[in-house]
Amino acid sequence: MRILHIGTDSFGGYGGIALYNRDLIAAMASHPSVDEVVVVPRIIVGPCEALPEKVTFVASAARGRLAYLNALRKTRGPFDLVLCAHVNLLPLANLIAKHPLLMLYGIEAWKPLRDPLSNRLLRDVRGVVSISDVTRERFAGWSQYAGPSLLLPNSIRAEWYGIRPRNRGLVSRYGLDGKRVLMTLGRVVAAERYKGFDEVLEVLPDLDDDIVYLVAGGGNDVPRLKQKASGLGIADRVIFTGLFPEEEKTDLYNLADVYVMPSRGEGFGFVFLEALACGVPVIASSIDGGREAVRDGLLGQLVDPTNPAEIRVAIRDALAAGPKRIAEGLEYFSYANFERRTHGIIESSS
Amino acid sequence: MCGIAAIVSYGSAAPTVDRDEIEAITERMWPRGPDAGGTWISPDSRVALGARRLAIIDLTDEGTQPMEDVDGELRIVFNGEIYNHRELRARMERLGARFHSTTDTEVLLQLYRHDGANMVELLRGMFAFAIWDTRTRRMFVARDPYGIKPLYVADDGQTFRAASTVKALLAGGRVPRGRDLAGVAGFWLMGSVPEPHTIFESIRAVEAGTSLFVDARGIHDVRRYYSIAAKLLRGAHDVAAARLVHPPTLLRELVTDSLRHHLISDVPVGAFLSSGIDSSALVALATEANGHPLRTVTLRFEEFLGREADEAPLAERFARELGSDHLTRLVTRDEFTDDLPRLFDAMDQPTIDGTNTWFVSKAAAERGLKVAISGLGGDELFGSYPSFRDLPRIVNASRLPLAAAAVSRLARSPKAGSMGRYGSTWAGAYLLKRGLFLPDDLPSLMGVREAREGLERLAMLEHIGQAIDPDPGTPFGRVAALEASLYMRNQLLRDTDWASMAHSLEVRTPLVDATLLRQIVPLLMVEKQRCKQHFAASPRHPLPAWLARRKKSGFSVPLAEWMQLRPDGTSTRMRSWARMVMERWA
Repeated sequence: MRILHIGTDSFGGYGGIALYNRDLIAAMASHPSVDEVVVVPRIIVGPCEALPEKVTFVASAARGRLAYLNALRKTRGPFDLVLCAHVNLLPLANLIAKHPLLMLYGIEAWKPLRDPLSNRLLRDVRGVVSISDVTRERFAGWSQYAGPSLLLPNSIRAEWYGIRPRNRGLVSRYGLDGKRVLMTLGRVVAAERYKGFDEVLEVLPDLDDDIVYLVAGGGNDVPRLKQKASGLGIADRVIFTGLFPEEEKTDLYNLADVYVMPSRGEGFGFVFLEALACGVPVIASSIDGGREAVRDGLLGQLVDPTNPAEIRVAIRDALAAGPKRIAEGLEYFSYANFERRTHGIIESSS
Repeated sequence: MCGIAAIVSYGSAAPTVDRDEIEAITERMWPRGPDAGGTWISPDSRVALGARRLAIIDLTDEGTQPMEDVDGELRIVFNGEIYNHRELRARMERLGARFHSTTDTEVLLQLYRHDGANMVELLRGMFAFAIWDTRTRRMFVARDPYGIKPLYVADDGQTFRAASTVKALLAGGRVPRGRDLAGVAGFWLMGSVPEPHTIFESIRAVEAGTSLFVDARGIHDVRRYYSIAAKLLRGAHDVAAARLVHPPTLLRELVTDSLRHHLISDVPVGAFLSSGIDSSALVALATEANGHPLRTVTLRFEEFLGREADEAPLAERFARELGSDHLTRLVTRDEFTDDLPRLFDAMDQPTIDGTNTWFVSKAAAERGLKVAISGLGGDELFGSYPSFRDLPRIVNASRLPLAAAAVSRLARSPKAGSMGRYGSTWAGAYLLKRGLFLPDDLPSLMGVREAREGLERLAMLEHIGQAIDPDPGTPFGRVAALEASLYMRNQLLRDTDWASMAHSLEVRTPLVDATLLRQIVPLLMVEKQRCKQHFAASPRHPLPAWLARRKKSGFSVPLAEWMQLRPDGTSTRMRSWARMVMERWA
């Protein structure tokens, strides 16, 4: 069996979609019936990770639009399954296969696409695979898509994380000695104000003075949030890390007493799994994909991001909870389960 | 859903509570809770609680009120429903709380024990309750954000009394009956008595979204914990989130979430169905959420047969499409005439509305329903009242006098002459638009001295202005705050309460929900009046065009025909009806 993966980024990529695609490609390749997975990436930003067996990675496709089209054109079929791993690539996938399987991640699929052709092509997809139920429902809401749809949530390799003592260097760098730390990790950009940074800032003045807020990430919205923190009189209690090296991530999570992200635009919220894998209690949103990342409240607390009182109370409850521990039920998102689900999708779609 | 009562003899000179009084107050509310009732008096006879219960969640005796917590330290009387009680209970159990029932009432007790007065901000629902804390000898009293459930208090400086209805407080025999001229003036101006005033000077409403304490110092720590205007203002800053999702899909999600909460019940839930978008979309979404059709009720009036005001044919057609177990209930003039004395008896304060809800609740109760959902609040939420169009025009036109005539709708009314005087502010424009009479009309209705005193104490324009403080920032937000905080609260919700409770029916309003409002504001700010059509498109099978495109009509009854009300040069039918109400209400 041969599979073609037409995606934005995976190996050599950065961020959630790239990570998800790497897992997906590896899981597909491990299926006993799969002979080859051909991956045509649109973007490569860094050095490529080791490729799994049976994966052919067409790196030349990432050189530009024309190169991508050329790479697709030269792809030698036939393929038993064509996976269109981003809705924006549907017209291109259509050049190769009339009935691709479509991947949905989050906000890109929550409202009609700008391109009318893509909207039309949706009718012909073989099925959709969604990272979360909220994305699947929101997609179905506008597209009226009623064909097969499957769920494939993120996976977490918990062994890459773990509960660690606070890194003294980071504690010192961010002035966290003797502080209780709330944390949100993500891009701090104006286009993603739905992350919930504002909502956490707004409740911070009502919390004890030894509670600080660590915003892990950088972006063009940092100046506005700094100004907001000053206006609220909590500038000294909000720490912005700016962009940080990937290798510091686990230590950053381990600085946190509570991971809180009362968001409104998360397709899933992989960061919750990372925080949970570090034993940090998490607070997620009840109205986006965060709900599913914490399994409807099994792994963490759910709050309505529009209700400051709920956020405040959830933070207090989380801080009052016992010592850090890895939440029972996190194995639901283990890579082994992800691989099993992926194999199920291959079997039902081919 | 219940009727509740509380007495605290807090003053040193106050007599101990009188068992006859608490029983008389409680008994007056019998239709609000025919399933059970009870009173409790503290061992020192300084505190009394009373409740009539309409059992809807946990039908066992464990739900009987007044209810004590498992530790015997807190005691509560509660009217309403806490729709997120399961989530709250799960949290409290995680924190170690113990329960002896599955009621939402007991969740309130545990929540109070853990979070104190801040508990109200965690509640999703309609409620009015009083918790007596024996540890601190304090009573905590609170009312829901929108004011769906009523609560009235009388405080003479020695004794605090509270009840779900004005008439119940009077039934105790200890509260003076002197008229509140501000309340009377308010009725003439708006057609209902604006809270916190009531028609009696000694009785005040606990304002919507307010909590307070009562102890040896009397009433204190009165806290306004919810403001519709503030929520509209805050939500206007979050429009980016609203742009992420296709509007009908987002509406479907948010309203369905509200519905799922409003459908929580241990008895069947039915629905009022008209031929309007709000009730139709709501019933369609409720049917989806429920997984099976609902029992639905529509009224029909002989006087409307063959006219557009007859909602029955379209409602029946839509009910057939949904597979609802539908009933069209014919109401005749004879029935209205027969019911009128009971209707006035149930009418807690004078109002020009409520007759429609009286009959539709009666019909629902006849079907054996204890709970019905209603599309009330949709017009305030989605901006479909003419006021959303007219108020900005009035304000703008009044600032440009030559353009005043452009406001043709107003120009045809007896209020046209007052446009220049009131139209230049939002509060004044609202008074012009919604006012039944204008201040200059009042001396002829209630006497010169009484009108002057009543108007002075009422300060109607300031009162209206409070509804848009803080300023929601946009014309849409201002009108939404005005309509929800004034017309909907003082008239629609209050009338729905007494008219439905008279038939022992609990009416639930999924579109009047503080959580829904917070979540939907960004979308409202982006889509404004388009939201109504988005709502029509929100069910999995969008409303058919013959329903979605139908011209809006109110949920009206043929009062004019029944009472032979005739408009003349200076009066309208509703003004005539208001005079009749004031004469016959007692």
